[in-house]
Amino acid sequence: MIEFFNVSVKSKNRLILREINLKIRKGEFVYLIGKTGAGKTTLLRLIYMDLIPTAGNVLVDKFSSSNIRKREIPYLRRKVGVIFQDFKLLPDRNVYENVAFSLRVIGKSRREVKSRVLSVLTQVGLNHKRYHKYHMLSGGEKQRVAIARALINEPFILLADEPTGNLDPEASKDILNLLEKINKSGTAVCMATHNYKLITWAPHRTLLMEDGFIKQEIDPDNLNQILEL
Amino acid sequence: MNILFTLKEGMINLKRARLSAVVSILSISLALSLIGISLLAGENLRDIFDRVYQQVEIEVFLQPGVNAGKIKQLRKKLARDTRVTKVIYISREKALEEFQKNFGEDLSTIIEENPLPASFRIILDPANASPKLIEKFVAQISQYPEVQEVLYQKEIINFLHKYFRIAAIAASLFALLLFVVITILIFNTIRLTIHSRRDIIQIMRLVGATNWFIKSPFLIEGMIQGIAGGIIASGILYLFTNLVRDIIFPRLLVPDYMNWFLLGIGIFLGWIGSYISVNRYLDY
Ligand SMILES: Nc1ncnc2c1ncn2[C@@H]1O[C@H](COP(=O)(O)OP(=O)(O)OP(=O)(O)O)[C@@H](O)[C@H]1O
Ligand SMILES: [Mg+2]
Repeated sequence: MIEFFNVSVKSKNRLILREINLKIRKGEFVYLIGKTGAGKTTLLRLIYMDLIPTAGNVLVDKFSSSNIRKREIPYLRRKVGVIFQDFKLLPDRNVYENVAFSLRVIGKSRREVKSRVLSVLTQVGLNHKRYHKYHMLSGGEKQRVAIARALINEPFILLADEPTGNLDPEASKDILNLLEKINKSGTAVCMATHNYKLITWAPHRTLLMEDGFIKQEIDPDNLNQILEL
Repeated sequence: MNILFTLKEGMINLKRARLSAVVSILSISLALSLIGISLLAGENLRDIFDRVYQQVEIEVFLQPGVNAGKIKQLRKKLARDTRVTKVIYISREKALEEFQKNFGEDLSTIIEENPLPASFRIILDPANASPKLIEKFVAQISQYPEVQEVLYQKEIINFLHKYFRIAAIAASLFALLLFVVITILIFNTIRLTIHSRRDIIQIMRLVGATNWFIKSPFLIEGMIQGIAGGIIASGILYLFTNLVRDIIFPRLLVPDYMNWFLLGIGIFLGWIGSYISVNRYLDY
């Protein structure tokens, strides 16, 4: 479903990703770990084609980075949900509007939007706060709104770039639980994180990145290895 | 595609960059008013010159001894010419009479026979009153065997025509300059709005909005600025023309198409300015 073939990314004469080969299967849950600057964010950006590799090829569903056209990228993005450490929500709009926005901008009618938004807000447990203003929400709730927005088009994969980076342990655990629930319903999840404790709570396939390449794949049964890092 | 949504986002854009939008709209109004004023000046100058041209007479002196039948024929021919608005026949007797009235001298006391030839006085349609066309007309008329000589105020016509053209060219260049100024103003406010909305643009990209969808609110915003500028300019010009009529020039001519013209230019330049801006800053 997602496949990297000898992918390298060069920026200003420096290789920031080198020779990545990777396969993420349908419905899989994958952690990306590694020191800051290891290339986790860059790898995720390649998947939603915010970045096109300098060499090699990234296959995402039926799209290929080597021949995707600019105007096809929006259609890829509708099938790939993305969330971030800083949520990237619209602070001047409430919960409902933030989620609805992503459907409105792909041209869906108001009626269609309403039922979709309500169902996805229920899914993340925020339906009762749908008219709350952005600044009235806790960090964990903001991330739930972002997750709701990412799920609205029923993507086959949810990319999460340090989703718990701004959250306290309690909220982090909640978000992880939500991601697991989403994963159980069939959506693949690929999450970059520095929070190794989360991995011990919910062990999954874990890729350790270092200096632009995937150094090793850590056996989920051997969690001590992670804690030693 | 969702027109209402696009319109609404366009309005929100405007509110976001309110100050720069207001400054831009006011500058656009001013520039459009100046365009309107140069247009007014052009139209009125043309009107005044038309009136002058209407008074330019071409005098066609006839050969002596042309008989009455030939004269009648020639008169009919001239009157049928589409370039001609008016033909007056001045007989030899009439010419003498006018001469005496103008100079207070009785020619018959000096010379026995009336020396003045019969003539036609012709006034041309102002649409055909450019120096070239008049010259062509005169050359044609001069060919007729009945015609002895054709006279008109060539110098005055050439003079007026030359200065009218210079004024028209200057006004067009001025208007063109203002077009460019307006386009730059709109380009710049849109650039600022795009900058102030880079977060929302990033989100739109993230959730899969098409490039066109992302761009269109900014195009709408540019056009709204153009429309607002056009409406305000129409108002300014309305006050201006009334003032001019009241205190300087009561017969000021205001073309009917003026307001539509300003609005049209405003929308057009609004679109151009935002189009350039959007393609420069929103193409990924
Ligand atoms: N747009 C860019 N231009 C140039 N270099 C970049 C760019 N983006 C990232 N880099 C570099 O690429 C390397 C990998 O960055 P990346 O953001 O992928 O790391 P990361 O693993 O996500 O780090 P962190 O854990 O801090 O988020 C870093 O050295 C970074 O400086
Ligand atoms: Mg990162």
